[in-house]
Amino acid sequence: MQIILEAEGLSKTYGEKTALNALHLKLSKGEIFSLLGPNGAGKSTTINLFLGFIQPSAGAARINGVDASKDPVGVKQHLAYIPEQVMLYQNLSGRENLSLLSALAGFEYSQSALDQFLVEAGLQADAINKRVGSYSKGMRQKVGIAAAVAKNAKVLLLDEPTSGLDPKASNEFSELLLRLSAAGTTIFMATHDIFRAREVSQRIGIMKAGSLIDEINAAKLNAGELEQLYLDYMKG
Amino acid sequence: MIRNITQKERISAFRDKRFIILGSIILVLLLTAAATGIINYRVLAAERKLAQSTATENFNNQPDRHPHRVAHYGSYAFRPKSVLSFLDFGLDSYTGTMVYLEAHQQNSANFSQVQQSGAMIRFGEMTIAFVMQWLIPLLIIFLCFNTFTLEHEEGTLKVLLSQGVSLKAIAKAKLLGYIQVISMIVLPAFFFVFLFVLSINDFILDSSLLLRTAVFMLTYLLYFFIFIAGSILISALNKHSRTALVTLLGIWIFSIVLMPKALSNLGSSLHEEPSKAAMDASVHEESKNGIDGHDPMDKRLEQFKQGLLEKYQVDSLSQLPVNVDGLIMALGEESSSKIYQEHFDELVAIYDDQNRLSIWAGFINPYLAIRNISMSMAGTDFFHYVDFLNAAEKYRYALTQHLNNLQATKVAHKDKTSRLKADIYASYPPFYYEGPAFTKALANVSLSIIALAFWTALVYGLIIITMNKKKNLI
Repeated sequence: MQIILEAEGLSKTYGEKTALNALHLKLSKGEIFSLLGPNGAGKSTTINLFLGFIQPSAGAARINGVDASKDPVGVKQHLAYIPEQVMLYQNLSGRENLSLLSALAGFEYSQSALDQFLVEAGLQADAINKRVGSYSKGMRQKVGIAAAVAKNAKVLLLDEPTSGLDPKASNEFSELLLRLSAAGTTIFMATHDIFRAREVSQRIGIMKAGSLIDEINAAKLNAGELEQLYLDYMKG
Repeated sequence: MIRNITQKERISAFRDKRFIILGSIILVLLLTAAATGIINYRVLAAERKLAQSTATENFNNQPDRHPHRVAHYGSYAFRPKSVLSFLDFGLDSYTGTMVYLEAHQQNSANFSQVQQSGAMIRFGEMTIAFVMQWLIPLLIIFLCFNTFTLEHEEGTLKVLLSQGVSLKAIAKAKLLGYIQVISMIVLPAFFFVFLFVLSINDFILDSSLLLRTAVFMLTYLLYFFIFIAGSILISALNKHSRTALVTLLGIWIFSIVLMPKALSNLGSSLHEEPSKAAMDASVHEESKNGIDGHDPMDKRLEQFKQGLLEKYQVDSLSQLPVNVDGLIMALGEESSSKIYQEHFDELVAIYDDQNRLSIWAGFINPYLAIRNISMSMAGTDFFHYVDFLNAAEKYRYALTQHLNNLQATKVAHKDKTSRLKADIYASYPPFYYEGPAFTKALANVSLSIIALAFWTALVYGLIIITMNKKKNLI
């Protein structure tokens, strides 16, 4: 089993406050892992550590064997990232934004290929050439998804990716994740959406106050049981 | 990678209505300043050329006169307008344009533009230099102040960085993008200026003019680079756009408005110059009493006359083969000119000391460095002005001594009524002035050029260090 994403004793503290406490995690090729937890549990901190945006206080975050803290630029060649709110350049069109982001990742696509990525991500064709300043949050999210797909990365880091998407778009997004997973992309998703997490993931982690308190095989619980378990942990 | 971000910055700037409006205003101002500067140059240059030729004509067409009458009739030296003065008026508006040249007397230059203009001129003039020194930095600040803070505030920096771009690469790309944007505003004006400079001599290349123009333009590009890089740096060091903007505007006000005035006052306090009246009185006193005050002129005259009698082996002055009056005039002129020149050199040294303060301050404030370089390349700084005054004094002295020599050799002793033919005077070459060579002007501002290069390296180095040091990127 090829380990693509690995956290080894990964910790982050800010002064006295522990944002992440000795996380140990291994994700294999094509696996989808969802991290559930309330706001401030450490989900986004974990993603930021894998992205190399912040330096760990201890431990290591590796993607495809590359330590994110030691090679924060190199590690990004292996990953794509979709934040909760995909922020794009308002003065550029959806296509221009995608072209820019793809080019920065080292991919130069033709105009028709860019348009295809955007349409496949669910953006209406007539919006492609409009400036992003006029886009809704959901439309921006779709450009972000298109950019992640266009990057053809080994790992997808998702931070509340379906937030702001309508049910149809959210469902399409789940299908996309399953397709990418089948093609060998490893997906790490931080989310509040218990039902979506159970629908797409093989494993689900529950995080509270910076610690991973449980790891669940998604196939063994139905959505209701998972919700109850999650709520029990949050009460305790 | 850098190319793509650069292109994005360029596109974003040109899709920003605020920038388009501001940039268009600046471009129009630059072109207007160039056009009015050129018209102003043409008018003033023609006026001075005409005035000089009229003065020469009057001198040449004067009636038959005694040489000493001619020496007092005198002549005029008009300072020709430097071709590139339309770029930067510098001190030109405040310095005199004409010197009356006569025997025994070193007159100051008169008829500055300020004397002949209304009070509005004291608020400064719209020149290319003004637009480039004051307004383009402001435009740069408004263009770049939020280059990193906005990325932080809108979350786009995270998206960019997640694509595998380093902060250093983003900063370099932004730098390049803004350089391109500013170049698009400045280069049309530079092209217009360049065409004018070429057209001055009917498109025959004048290497000195071209070199001055090239240094003028290149150093301004460095100045803009310093402001662009500095603005990017401040934006990278601040978390909020508002703080970055206030910081940059504070730096602009301090560097361009406050510090130059404060330095000027400090220079005057540290190196106080004598008043014109005090200097004239000293020259007069020393001429009368001798340089050290113990060698009265009368005594020196007696020694001089005695020396002549011994040299020519005669008993009286009337027996001399030369007119002693002319020789005495020449001696007096030599003495008073020497005294005047010493005082003038001392005065220039005091002004140089005052100016040196602002030259060295170029290492603290790049505006002061570009101001010196700009005026020097335009030929409108103190160095060029003093060069003209020295040339005028040199001509005055030579003309006066020539007339004293005519009196000594062509007019008899104590003969105050004889007149020499006018064509004798007309044969004397007229005043002709050409400003300092490019190399001299360049050498005079070498320290300011080094200061500008230092600033360029400093801000670029600080950007690279800051970007490399940022470990936590969000």
